[in-house]
Amino acid sequence: MSRQRFIPNWKGLLIFLSIIGPGIITASIDNDASGITTYSVAGARYGYIFLWVLIPTTIALIVIQEMVARMGVITGKGLADLIRENYGVKITFFMMIVLLVANFGTTTAGFAGWAASMEMFGLSKYIMVPLGAFGIWLLVTRGSYRVVEIVLLVACLLYFGYIFSGFMAAPKWSKVLRSTFIPTVKWEPEFIMLTIAIIGTTITPWMQFYLQSSIAEKGIKKENYKFSKLDVIIGCLITNIIAFFIIVTCATTLFPNGIRINEAQEAALALEPFAGQHASTLFAVSLANASILGAIIVPLATAYYICEAMGWEAGVNKNFKEAPQFMWIYTALIFVSALLVLIPNVPLIDLMVLSSFLNGILLPFVLVFAIALVNNRRIMGEYINSKGYNYIAWGTVCFLITLTIILLYMVVVP
Amino acid sequence: MPLFGELFISELLKKPVLDPKGEDLGRVRDFIVIKGDPLPRVSALILEKKKNFYRLEWEYIGIFNKRIISSRVYALKIKSYEYPEDDLLVVRDIFDKQIVDANGAKVVRVNDVKLKGINNNACLTAVDVSIRGILRRLGIERKSENLYRIFKKSLPHNLIHWNYIQPLEPKLTTISLTVPRQMVSALHPADIADIISKVSHEERVAFFEGLDPNVAAESLHELQPDVQKAIIESLHKDFATDIVERMPPDEAADLLGDLPLEKAKELLESIEKSEAQDIQELLAHEEDTAGGLMTNEFIAYSPELKIGDAIEKFKIDAHNVEIVYYIYIIDEHEKLVGVTSLRDMLLSPPSVPLSEIMETKLKTVAPDTDQQNVAEIVSKYNLLAIPVIDAGGIILGIVTIDDILNILLPPLSRKRRRKV
Repeated sequence: MSRQRFIPNWKGLLIFLSIIGPGIITASIDNDASGITTYSVAGARYGYIFLWVLIPTTIALIVIQEMVARMGVITGKGLADLIRENYGVKITFFMMIVLLVANFGTTTAGFAGWAASMEMFGLSKYIMVPLGAFGIWLLVTRGSYRVVEIVLLVACLLYFGYIFSGFMAAPKWSKVLRSTFIPTVKWEPEFIMLTIAIIGTTITPWMQFYLQSSIAEKGIKKENYKFSKLDVIIGCLITNIIAFFIIVTCATTLFPNGIRINEAQEAALALEPFAGQHASTLFAVSLANASILGAIIVPLATAYYICEAMGWEAGVNKNFKEAPQFMWIYTALIFVSALLVLIPNVPLIDLMVLSSFLNGILLPFVLVFAIALVNNRRIMGEYINSKGYNYIAWGTVCFLITLTIILLYMVVVP
Repeated sequence: MPLFGELFISELLKKPVLDPKGEDLGRVRDFIVIKGDPLPRVSALILEKKKNFYRLEWEYIGIFNKRIISSRVYALKIKSYEYPEDDLLVVRDIFDKQIVDANGAKVVRVNDVKLKGINNNACLTAVDVSIRGILRRLGIERKSENLYRIFKKSLPHNLIHWNYIQPLEPKLTTISLTVPRQMVSALHPADIADIISKVSHEERVAFFEGLDPNVAAESLHELQPDVQKAIIESLHKDFATDIVERMPPDEAADLLGDLPLEKAKELLESIEKSEAQDIQELLAHEEDTAGGLMTNEFIAYSPELKIGDAIEKFKIDAHNVEIVYYIYIIDEHEKLVGVTSLRDMLLSPPSVPLSEIMETKLKTVAPDTDQQNVAEIVSKYNLLAIPVIDAGGIILGIVTIDDILNILLPPLSRKRRRKV
């Protein structure tokens, strides 16, 4: 009896292993250079009190990603495909331009983070940035989808460096747990701004496009959707566990000593006297890894999005001849961003502010389209949201849109 | 309705439509398309006025151009419109849809649709897939053209004529496929199978319904067995029967063997008697033996037949037979006594009987011979087909080289994993 029950479980595990990837990768890379900066800054300035924010963030992330993943599995199309087919060329074109600029900024931020972390190891950015750019270009243009996915999944494991540095910092766990489950709010502008920033950097437009496109490219079948869902949930949990440990590390070491930081690489440096050389190195390596991963995924998401909207061939599995536009968009984004990081005195900060501003404008559109599409019976058939789930989904979307609008306001009126 | 030359749909959208007195009837929102000969044509305009939708029949249109669209009737004569699902609408159903290029893998989206006045009708002549089409939709075609001119470049036109387009979306199923059928039939069945392997199941069924049964039969056999089965099960019974009848009996037998018993029975009953008998005989054999592979369509004449008469007979019989290179010689009990090639027959004097030129040292297989062995024998003796005979020497059928090739090298579209 027990054996019979066991066999399908092993089979299920195998199927699961073949399906995992898109959810974990998308969610992990969500902790990009700017995300890590936000968590580090939050931990250093306010200690443990931000930890509880991660719980609603995780829930919101799971709710949104699950809907997008479901659309990918059921329709076999990307989000941009569906938006173009259902909402026409005008809105798609507008989103395409905004997303292109925003993602260009995000890619540049990735290379900037990569350059900063390499310099911490004494490696010149004039060598490491071109090298990094060329490496990731080669990976996607020459590698197959499966190879790229495995490389990314392995790279995602490097995020666990943050967990180790969290333990090395030796926090008071009782205090950590209390802060995690008992919400504390400080009514001051910086605190509110950081709260919004934590949630805002977690849910971005490009993620939705990347997740759905990569699931569609992977061709996951309807009957295996439950595994895809598990992939998404695990990914979202891991992401926020990583964020949790970044905050814990900085809160344990930097906060009691009153060290204020503005950048993620400063956090890595500042850690050394309090948590030791290894913790500092782990922090720096993880930052380098997160940055370069962002520089792979964000251009990839952009290339997918634009090609889907225009109806061109797209996919990591294709080559320059089969999908020229896809490969050229990817190539151009990487090389222009890398070049920009190398030019001295380029106002990168302005570009990143513009990028987060544009992402903020785009997010409400993407979320509303996503939820409208997922509820469209003509597209999703029986897989539309259930009524109860829809309350949660709309609640999440409204919550995120409100936060985004406040964030936008704060960016415009500093 | 006066002739109006050529227009793009996007140039007409949101344009006001005026009645004979110059009153505003509403703005153009969409176009209902119906099938026409040879091109699909506009049957009505959908107008919007104050959030209500109206249907203005094409017959009532007076002037129709980029600047003015006028109606010959007053507001009272136009009916309100509720957007039923089964109408084919240009903006709703055709715009922005992904199309699989008839050339194969390349994909594009419909950016715009071109209309042309033919015999007082507005016919859909082409689909615009260029950047120009997008710019036109955005209302900045002229400006962009000027911008391009500054750089001494011109915006490319890229139109795909309607004949080359297969609107495959399920909502179009009933109307879309009559016209492009000829064009698609001109493609090789293997290419059609290639296109079919890339679209969803509903689209496949729609696609098949639009094909000529002969082409459908040939394309079907290029597909994976489970896809074949799914398509036949979804098709209307009459059309499915048509297709199965046109398939070589061996392939029909393979297909019916995969179907649920009920469905196979139903099809067999409606198929022409002699054809059904052939298929039934084949169904009795194991799939991977000579009996399972063989077809019972072949050319067989009696040894006394004069070559001249045989050639005349051949001209009639060869139409329905897959492989005609060998002429088998059988006696009155259908016992195989010899074989001759088409070449030998054509090159021999017409007055001698077939028995004079036939080869009597025969290479044959039994119905239960394993398919690998069959392939080995065919390959060893360089044959194009090999007869299958029973213990009494009666010819049951022949296994042809293309069936053997399918064992050694499955056709591309069958190997392709991708199933939607």
